[in-house]
Amino acid sequence: MALLELSHISKSYPHAKGSLSVIDDVSFAISEGEFIAIVGPSGCGKSTLLRIINGIVPQSSGQVLYNGRQIDGINLECALVFQSFALMPWLTVEDNVEMPLEARGVPPEVRRKRISFYIDKVGLDGFEEAYPRELSGGMKQRVGLARALAAEPRVLLMDEPFSALDALTAITLREELLDIWRLPDSPVHTILMVTHIIEEAIELADRIMVMGAHPGRLIADLKVDLPRPRDRRAEGFNVYADKVFSLIEERS
Amino acid sequence: MMPGEGIYPLPEGHLNWVFGLLEVLEDHGGREDGYKISRDLNFKFDDLLRVMKIAEILGFVTTPTGDVVLEPLGKRFLESDVNQRKLIIGEQLRRHGLFNYFIRLLRAQPDRSLSKEVVLEHLAILLPNEKPEKMFNTMVTWGRFAELFGYSKDEDRFYLDQDTPQPPQP
Repeated sequence: MALLELSHISKSYPHAKGSLSVIDDVSFAISEGEFIAIVGPSGCGKSTLLRIINGIVPQSSGQVLYNGRQIDGINLECALVFQSFALMPWLTVEDNVEMPLEARGVPPEVRRKRISFYIDKVGLDGFEEAYPRELSGGMKQRVGLARALAAEPRVLLMDEPFSALDALTAITLREELLDIWRLPDSPVHTILMVTHIIEEAIELADRIMVMGAHPGRLIADLKVDLPRPRDRRAEGFNVYADKVFSLIEERS
Repeated sequence: MMPGEGIYPLPEGHLNWVFGLLEVLEDHGGREDGYKISRDLNFKFDDLLRVMKIAEILGFVTTPTGDVVLEPLGKRFLESDVNQRKLIIGEQLRRHGLFNYFIRLLRAQPDRSLSKEVVLEHLAILLPNEKPEKMFNTMVTWGRFAELFGYSKDEDRFYLDQDTPQPPQP
C-alpha cells in the first residue's frame, strides 16, 4: 500500500467570475523510501499542493490518504521545510528546534534527547545558543531541517528548500540531505520536494512529478533511472533535463 | 608568541561555501579553473576567490595559477561524516594564528571566557586593518562549527568549548 496517496485533488478559489482553479485533478501515490520532486513553472500550484498534503490548506475536492486513511486537518506524520526558513528570530537555534516538539506535546526529557540528536545530525553542534540573525542562510536552513526532523515525521515535505541559497551552499546542503535520507537511523526515508530547478530534481529524486500551469495539473510522472551519486555533467543527466524542459514548455 | 606574529585575518565567507567547492572539484576530476567555476555556478568571482582562500587556509586545496586543486585532506574531508568534518576543521583552525591566539588567551582566563568587547579590543590590536566586528563574527561562526569556541549573546560570553585540546605551540 502507498504511504501517501493523492486522489483527484482539486483546488479553486472564489473569483469575481465564478471560481479560479489553481489545481485540477491531481492524483499520484508515494511509497515509503521514495524521494519525489515536484517541478513546474510558477503558478502550477506545486507549493499549494504541498500544503494540501500537509493539511495547512484544505483541498476543494479529492482526497489525501495516508496509510490508506483519509487525513482531516494537519498530518502530524509530515513535517515541512520552507524556502524562507521560517525561524523565530527571538529564539536560539536550540529553542527553534524544540518549539514544534513542545507544541506536539513531546515530554521534556524526550525533547532534550531529540534536540541534541538532530542538531548533531545536521551539523549544528556548537550553534545551539546562536540566534538566527547570527547565522548564514545555509546554517538557517540546517535549523529548518533539524526542526522538521526532530518531529520524527514519516514524510519530509520541502518547499523550494535551497532556492534562497547561493550555488555553493545549495550544493553542500543537497549532499547532506541525501546523506540524511540514506542514513539507517534517520527517522524519515520519504521525501517530497517542490522545486523550480530542474537539475536539482534530477540530481535528487527517484521520481519527478512534472506539473503544468493555469490550472495546475500533472503532466508527467517520470522515473529517474540514473545511478547515484549523480553527475550533472553525465550524458544521461542531460537527456532527463531536456525531457523535463520540453514537457513543461509544450504545455505552457 | 608575540602578538601579531603570524596572525592573519580570516577571509569573510561561509564554511558551507568551502564544502560546496570541494564537491564541485570532485565532480570535475580534482582540478578546475577558478574563473570557470564561478561562471558555471553563476557565483560572484570575488566571492569565489575568498572561498578558494578559505579552502587553502584549511589545507583542502592549493591554488596554482588561478586553478583550484583538490588536495588529499580535501578528499578525506569529502569522505567524512559531519562529526569527522568538524574534527578536521578544528584541527586545521587550531594551527591558524588567530585561533591559536584566542585559544591561549581564553585558557589563561579563570573561567575560560571573555566578553565580546575585550575580544574586539584584541582584534583591533592584532589586525588593525580589519573590521573587528566582522572578524569576530567569522571567528565565532567557524569556531562554533569546529566546536572550538562558543558565544552566548545573552551572557556576553565568548568562551572555550570544553573539549578544546591544547593548541600546538608555535
